[in-house]
Amino acid sequence: MKFSDPTKDTLTEEQLVKDLQAGEMGSFEQLANLYQKKIYTLSFNLTRNITDSQDVTQEVLLILFRKGHTFQGKSAFSSWVYRITINASYMKLRTRKKEPKVSIEDILPTFNQGGFQYEKIQDWSENTESLLFGNETRDIIQKAVDLLPDKEKVVFILRDVEGLSSEKAGNILEISIPAVKSRLHRARLFLRKKLANYFWEYKTRKESK
Amino acid sequence: MICCKECIELLYSYLEGELSAEMETSLEEHFADCPPCIAFVNTYKATTLLCKNTLKSNDIPDTIKIKLKEFVDKNKPDFL
Repeated sequence: MKFSDPTKDTLTEEQLVKDLQAGEMGSFEQLANLYQKKIYTLSFNLTRNITDSQDVTQEVLLILFRKGHTFQGKSAFSSWVYRITINASYMKLRTRKKEPKVSIEDILPTFNQGGFQYEKIQDWSENTESLLFGNETRDIIQKAVDLLPDKEKVVFILRDVEGLSSEKAGNILEISIPAVKSRLHRARLFLRKKLANYFWEYKTRKESK
Repeated sequence: MICCKECIELLYSYLEGELSAEMETSLEEHFADCPPCIAFVNTYKATTLLCKNTLKSNDIPDTIKIKLKEFVDKNKPDFL
């Protein structure tokens, strides 16, 4: 099944939680089918490591198998799944050697004293179609996301990639809605700047050929 | 007239439709006279879409799918 239909998701989720609580046979496989892609891709986007994401997916599925039937339903089941996936992914990241990250402050737009834009802005938004499925663009985008500080990255993934509301993302991360919004805006500004540099180089390369 | 910096700070709220009508008009008046900001808004939106589509298309590799299936078969509880 696809995860893009929120109504269908909620219905399936509600039924699944009921089945789990009732000890329905087969609900565990259904649980794995419904959530493993969500868990794996969230973990992969956070850790960018196949083995770590497989480990995280297994750890989370095990928690769901063992504790799923005790779920109280105080928040959405999927929020609980997201939260334990994020925590398990962070545990993986903690064991890794820290790589130097670009400060988000350095990459926000620059302005002159009057508050007007200082840099030359290229509008590459209409040229992205042909680049979208290129491997080079994919790599650049994934690397740019990897460079985001953790706080901004997780908000960006939950809101823009997973398509969750600010309320739900705030609930999962236990931060306020204004904090979700400001982190998301900073993440988008950071990524925009990174991609702008890339598209500028791409255009220059193409023109010099 | 508000400056580019203020427009960019308010861009998220503007795109989410969270600004007052008055603020929204101020931003739009600025955009009408500021091609760099128009380019900025377009590329800000395009960034979101590009990143979303790229990251969303990450799937579980087939080899991992097989391992996960084995893991589920081995670890799913037989009864409650």
